[in-house]
Amino acid sequence: MASRIWPLVKLVSKVTIAGGAVYVTYDSGLLGSSEQGSVVLEKAKVAVPPALEEWIKYFGLEAQLPTMPKIEFSPINSWNTGVRWTISSLSEAPTRASEYTSQGLQYVKDLIK
Amino acid sequence: MSEKELGKKLDRCLADGVVKLGTGLGLGIVFSVLFFKRRTWPITLFSGAGLGMAYANCQHDLRSHYLLHTKEQACEGRPQKT
Repeated sequence: MASRIWPLVKLVSKVTIAGGAVYVTYDSGLLGSSEQGSVVLEKAKVAVPPALEEWIKYFGLEAQLPTMPKIEFSPINSWNTGVRWTISSLSEAPTRASEYTSQGLQYVKDLIK
Repeated sequence: MSEKELGKKLDRCLADGVVKLGTGLGLGIVFSVLFFKRRTWPITLFSGAGLGMAYANCQHDLRSHYLLHTKEQACEGRPQKT
């Protein structure tokens, strides 16, 4: 009797867990529109680091884990700086190319003299 | 569409892509562990589905500026093209 019920119980519990996971993701707006997705991401960015610190303190792992250095790095600013540098280099490239060419030609003329 | 609006929409697309990829990955891991004996393909499938949903949302978001909206949609709060 128990051997017959046990697979059924396992299946029901698995379906419950999977269904619960899908419901939680749907209810929290993770499967919705772009606006909902970006709102959830902002909430997660705010909530995750303090929660992580609390869990580390709770489990007493502070001494074991090395302290994370606070790096003041913004990937967005780095990307934007890179884009601006690339575009300005491309726009100045023809002028610089002609300058270097004329300098090179002048150098060769001086050598020939 | 102004450049500022386009920039905001692209930022939203990127954030939504990250969220949906993570959600797909999480759900894929759950389903893979529970039903599919820890195989890799459910994880890939669900991650791909998440990315696809993000792509569809982004496409709709970028196109919505150029679509004509009816009065009913305007009453719902969507921008009406004049």
